[in-house]
Amino acid sequence: MAAGNVNSFNVLTNHNNIVNIITETDTEEDQILQWLSPLEPQRRHQAVRTGRLDGIGNWVLEANKFKEWSGGKDDSVEPLLFCCGSPGVGKTYLR
Amino acid sequence: MIDRLCDQAGRKDIAVVGLYCDFLSHQEQSTTNVLGAILKQLSRRGEIPKDIREAFQKAREEFGGRGLQLFDQVEIMKITASLSRVFICIDALDESTPQHRQELLQSLQEIVRGSRNTRIFLTGRPHIEDEIMRRFSKVVRIHLSPTQGDIESYLEMKLSRDTDPYAMDDELRADIMRVIPEKTSKM
Repeated sequence: MAAGNVNSFNVLTNHNNIVNIITETDTEEDQILQWLSPLEPQRRHQAVRTGRLDGIGNWVLEANKFKEWSGGKDDSVEPLLFCCGSPGVGKTYLR
Repeated sequence: MIDRLCDQAGRKDIAVVGLYCDFLSHQEQSTTNVLGAILKQLSRRGEIPKDIREAFQKAREEFGGRGLQLFDQVEIMKITASLSRVFICIDALDESTPQHRQELLQSLQEIVRGSRNTRIFLTGRPHIEDEIMRRFSKVVRIHLSPTQGDIESYLEMKLSRDTDPYAMDDELRADIMRVIPEKTSKM
């Protein structure tokens, strides 16, 4: 077993019997990815997505500045877009 | 923003990766961790590149863990080169320490120089702009402040989720919808 890392959890079967399923979760891929960085920004992203109200701040994404930056040819645009604003104005929650 | 770019991308040769700097501890926000997180997301798209596999094998044999950050930048650029465009989004950059911020900006600068098809999206309070400008002479800047419409939509959403709706009446609702947008527009 790769790193001796085993997850076990209970699953309810159709007959409502609790059985144990043992899964070896640490594949080498997982280990490498974990080694690259322990950070899991997807989790935070899920929370942001849940708390977001669609439509708010859409003017930013409709702005020409944004369209050019995201869609323009590589050598004709500045590669960095900085979206600034006071705390709480919704920078994180732009869709 | 990440979702918007993903929708827009919709193509296999465009990658969107992202990171949130808020709520990261001092240790967590190290440049190696942050660049590593970008590399990790890029690596998840397909096969893990051979170089990374080898570096991992090597690191496993040695004591001391993860290697140089230079490695990350080079690897990021290699993956980027196989794609038509890569968006790297970093939220709340102002919440990282000045030292980490400088290191990260320097790495991003090198990535952008090496891979012209990379786009960087940063958010933060206005005061970090000077630091960004030190690395990137030109940036596209959007100053975000909510529109009256944004504030009204937000209030409507909050009022619709009111946990104590019996305390609300039409008059109070009208007052809230009038006064708050008025005050915030003056901020």
